[in-house]
Amino acid sequence: MRLLVTLALLLPALVLAEEQADNDMRLTVKPLLCITDNRNPSCNMSFLVVWQSDETGYYCLFNDFTEAPVRCWSEEPAGQLSEDRIVRENFSYWMTGNNPDSRLAEVTVEVLHMDSDDRRRRRRTRHVWDIN
Amino acid sequence: MFRRLTQLALLLLALDATQCLAEEEIEEVTESRWRLGAALGYGVRSNPLVQSDDIPIIVDLDIAWFGDRWFFDNGDLGLTVADRDAMTASLVARVNSDRVFFGNTDTRFVAFDVVGMPLAEEVEFEVPDRDYAVEFGVEMLTDGSWGALQLSAFHDVSGTHEGFELYANYSYGWRDQRLYIEPSIGASYKSADLNNYYWGVSDDEAGVVVAPYEAEAGFNWHARLMVGYQLSRHWGLSLVAEYERINDEAAASPIVNERNVLGYFAGAAYRF
Repeated sequence: MRLLVTLALLLPALVLAEEQADNDMRLTVKPLLCITDNRNPSCNMSFLVVWQSDETGYYCLFNDFTEAPVRCWSEEPAGQLSEDRIVRENFSYWMTGNNPDSRLAEVTVEVLHMDSDDRRRRRRTRHVWDIN
Repeated sequence: MFRRLTQLALLLLALDATQCLAEEEIEEVTESRWRLGAALGYGVRSNPLVQSDDIPIIVDLDIAWFGDRWFFDNGDLGLTVADRDAMTASLVARVNSDRVFFGNTDTRFVAFDVVGMPLAEEVEFEVPDRDYAVEFGVEMLTDGSWGALQLSAFHDVSGTHEGFELYANYSYGWRDQRLYIEPSIGASYKSADLNNYYWGVSDDEAGVVVAPYEAEAGFNWHARLMVGYQLSRHWGLSLVAEYERINDEAAASPIVNERNVLGYFAGAAYRF
């Protein structure tokens, strides 16, 4: 009975510790913005992905392109990876720990298409004295 | 029972297909019909008129709405009559831009007459005012890998100057990720009526300081360089330098003392 009470008291603390660990994961990706237009509909980008955690552990980096992890690190508190990609639409990088379904940190790379699909909007130039 | 189930399955498939089509249609029109933006910074446009101040540019707003055929684009109201890969043609109503210089003039006391001789006593002189003109015309737009071309023809419909203007502008943009550079060059032909209304001096307006002047038709030339740097989805930096050479007839007017109009603006732009 005492064991059960102890476990019941410890469980919230363990969950809290797990959440705290989740929040300690820091993930940075550079660059974060891909700008396209009709002449250049994709970006050829070199990404630098850097992660750091306060706790040493087993961590994996995922992205939207594959179901398998891009790379995993065992017994590491930090890591980095460089990869080249041709980007056409928004996608995310995220880190997981032992549970691959739980994302510890996530970063989204945005694609910004500058040309309008509306021909008038794309073709109209504002007056010579207008800016922006 | 089997038939009922088959009918139900087919109905669900049909509903699903309809929903998919609806979603595809929704995805196709996700681009907002509105284009709203504002640039905040500092810039100046020189004023070619005598006794005038340069025009400061602190804020530039971009307000546009594009419907299926109607559109409003920063003061231009248009109806698109043809929109194809090769060309877009629209009927457009707008306000003439020559009037903008007449909003920044001063009244001063002048000590010299029309030929530069000293006056017995100073005379109050004011640059004559001009009205805004509402113009209606046709606009042809086309673009491709070679750049973008805009051709337009506008005629006064407000009875202000009763003249017309033909306009052409060519631009070519380069993009390297966040950096965008777009030089453009163009010309506009201003009819005698238009030119004379804005830049001429009537007998009633003439006096000891300025002589009467009648302006004929002429060509204005302009060039512009726009450099933009996108900081994020919404924020960007803009740098614009512009030059316009006023036609000979306007430049020879006694109320004009500078035939080159120069402008620049540097600032941060936010697009909603």
